[in-house]
Amino acid sequence: MASHGVSRAAATTVRSEEARQKELQQIDTYKDLVNQVNAKIVERQYTIEVLSLITKLLNENPEYYTIWNHRRRVLITLLALDPVDRGDRASPEELIENDLQLTFSLLRKFPKCYWIWNHRDWILQKGESTLEADTTRRLWSGELQLVNKMLHADSRNFHAWSYRRFVVAQLDRIQSGSIADAEAPKSMIELEFEYTTKMIKINLSNFSAWHNRSRLIPRLLDERKADHNARRQLFDNELELICTAINTDPFDQSIWYYHQYLMSTLAPDCPEQSKIVPNLTTEDRTKYYAHEMEYIQEILEDEADCKWIYESLLHVAQCFLVIDAGTDLFTTSDMRNWLENLQRLDPLRKGRWEEVGASLGK
Amino acid sequence: MALVSGPGRGGMSDMPVEMRLFVDKHVRYIQSLDTRKDELEYWLTEHLRLNGLYWGLTALHLLGHPDALPRDEVLEFVLSCLHDNGGFGAAPGHDAHMLYTVSGVQILATLDAFDELDRRVPGGRQKIGQFIAGLQDPETGTFAGDEWGERDTRFLYGALNALSLMKLLHLVNVDKAVEHIQSCANFDGGYGTSPGAESHSGQIFTCVSALTIAGRLDLVDHDKLGAWLSERQLKNGGLNGRPEKKEDVCYSWWVMSSLANLKRLHWIDGRKLTEFILQCQDPELGGLADRPGDMVDVFHTVFGIAGLSLLKYPGLAEVDPTYCMPREVTRRCLGK
Ligand SMILES: [Zn+2]
Repeated sequence: MASHGVSRAAATTVRSEEARQKELQQIDTYKDLVNQVNAKIVERQYTIEVLSLITKLLNENPEYYTIWNHRRRVLITLLALDPVDRGDRASPEELIENDLQLTFSLLRKFPKCYWIWNHRDWILQKGESTLEADTTRRLWSGELQLVNKMLHADSRNFHAWSYRRFVVAQLDRIQSGSIADAEAPKSMIELEFEYTTKMIKINLSNFSAWHNRSRLIPRLLDERKADHNARRQLFDNELELICTAINTDPFDQSIWYYHQYLMSTLAPDCPEQSKIVPNLTTEDRTKYYAHEMEYIQEILEDEADCKWIYESLLHVAQCFLVIDAGTDLFTTSDMRNWLENLQRLDPLRKGRWEEVGASLGK
Repeated sequence: MALVSGPGRGGMSDMPVEMRLFVDKHVRYIQSLDTRKDELEYWLTEHLRLNGLYWGLTALHLLGHPDALPRDEVLEFVLSCLHDNGGFGAAPGHDAHMLYTVSGVQILATLDAFDELDRRVPGGRQKIGQFIAGLQDPETGTFAGDEWGERDTRFLYGALNALSLMKLLHLVNVDKAVEHIQSCANFDGGYGTSPGAESHSGQIFTCVSALTIAGRLDLVDHDKLGAWLSERQLKNGGLNGRPEKKEDVCYSWWVMSSLANLKRLHWIDGRKLTEFILQCQDPELGGLADRPGDMVDVFHTVFGIAGLSLLKYPGLAEVDPTYCMPREVTRRCLGK
């Protein structure tokens, strides 16, 4: 009912009578399965047998959220069974592994289905309250492998990125709750930061990775207990990284947004917890802005038709004016010139450029 | 249903062919949706039935055919999805969830049926309000989708949307909800599904709309977010949902509604977007798809048409950018 990327030509061929009959039969079989499951749930038959009927149905239709709820109702009962009553039926660990497998195979086919991601989250939380701490830790670490696979298949899947942040938070929580090892493993934040570097190197255009990086940096610095110099060092490294990226492909939006992010942390009104280097002086800021403008103008020499360059120059110039209205590094007529180029190169956003023009004054 | 001023549908045949909207085909397409019971897809999408009805009904209202679906049958179906706890499921026998409760309320509002609801289900409106209010997390201000607890800014928006239509916003802590939205904000001016998540046009729609309902648009950096949203327009006129992604008709709605609330709709090229949306029509059987040449569905049909309404396409009824409902309906419910 909300289909994406399905060609109409392929979908609207007229069904033969034979095909129609076959489809009617499929409908009967499907409805029969739905009715069976619903009837057993009404009777509160929360058994292994019903669980496998549910599995069958979810494999046919993982979007059927009520059936996922039914699955949880059954599992809650089965997980709580006394070992004596359970006999040789599935143990809690087996039940949980089973659902992890089910959701994994479904996610491979339906990577954007909210309900599958939700169930996976639910079953792991359930596992944590049911199983031994060691098993739980093993399960959560396994989740990182799953997310790696999902992001390998689609590096922008925002479900997978959200889930990644969630899993990391769980692992951090478990880690901080356990006794520190003699040789403490590398913290999750360091590893996650490295992961974004790796993803960016594979594909510069992966804004999801750049975004995650921007979210990790303040936490990374806190965890490293970084002093002023260390913070500056990291900021300078990031600037160098993004400038190389800009040079590689100045037409990619993702890269410019990350550049914009770095610039936003310089602003005096940047929220304290988002700043990379606190306690910057006006002189420090001036130097950074001047350096960026110079660098971007250099690229302009080869890429006079890249609108992002002009947009960025205008943006940095506006930031500059906030801290030093009297700078002689550029003039209003430079700004007007960049704007004219934007109007030339980017007619889609004509209305926006007109307003920017008005804000520049006469 | 009054049509907005400007040339009526009769004038549309004078339009150049690439600017034509096939109103009658779309009406027939929507009417046909409930007659497809011999297709497996009909049964596999039962979990979207109530959303589908809201999408179809809204599209029909915007197209100027509010009576194309039988009112009493629609009302009957909506009420058959209402649970004792005040929540709606997607269809009879499906569990109650925020997503369907909002659609249920939106349909009742569009049908002007709140009084009928209270007559047939004593205290009905109040019950629905309590169901929604019960899903707010008192600590963070956000909302869960149902008793199982999944949280997402979609549910927060849904809650404020439905409660405001029923004049029951006082049942929840709006300030806390606003605080939560703030915690989902990113440096680019946009919002994600939860704190720390990447900006995404769909979530921006939910957050900007929720802030509009809460009367707190002052918290949004209009120029920064407006700039980000305007960059969603691609050369072919279509809009994408995030940087470096493909265009898609449903984003016409998520992006444009937010631009409209920020009074920045003129920051994109409306003519090119109109042409793109119109190319996504099925000119023979009606309906709109995500992209030209793809299979149509009612989801992209309503968001395409609502987008055209924001673009002031002639003959369409005015849409409310905050609610994705006919403006006439929200004016009646909200009294403004
Ligand atoms: Zn879409």
